[in-house]
Amino acid sequence: MQLARIEGTITSAACHPSMRRGRTVICQPLDADGRPEGAPVLALDQLGAGLHQLVFFTTDGSETRRLVGDDHSPLRNHIQAIVDSAKASAT
Amino acid sequence: MRLGYVIGKATLGLSDPALKGGRFLLVQPLSREQFAGAPMLPLAKGATVVVYDGIGAGEGQVVGFTEGAEAAAPFPVPTPVDAYASALIDQIHYTPPA
Repeated sequence: MQLARIEGTITSAACHPSMRRGRTVICQPLDADGRPEGAPVLALDQLGAGLHQLVFFTTDGSETRRLVGDDHSPLRNHIQAIVDSAKASAT
Repeated sequence: MRLGYVIGKATLGLSDPALKGGRFLLVQPLSREQFAGAPMLPLAKGATVVVYDGIGAGEGQVVGFTEGAEAAAPFPVPTPVDAYASALIDQIHYTPPA
């Protein structure tokens, strides 16, 4: 599971049917200090996460296939939770 | 899933029989700047990925592609594919915080 910030959405008419089971959001993975790490990735969102909200998403494909009810879905990432606050206090 | 810019196609001579009839794209993953609307050329840094074309994408288009074991999930029989294009992207709405 990875902490990320919602930074947008995409639209796609020609897509795998399982992608219609939710919207597809652009997630920016964050490091422990909340700084962007790497390029954004896409994830399925069934929770309705808002722009710039903190979330965490899973990269567990088998769980995502179960969520969309399609054993042949190529989806991997989905939003699991909307985060109220996250604080790293390691020294 | 990542977004990538289709820069070409790969055609196969000899291949694993399971890949026969497949179309393969050369895809350059988008940088953060390109999500925000920067031109696709010059290409973003990073390795180009060979992606199985599951949607009929062409050069110059942006696709969403999955990597890893899930890339083989759409096939009815086990297939040695580890990147699969599953969406043709029409629009990217990207607004990073200021």
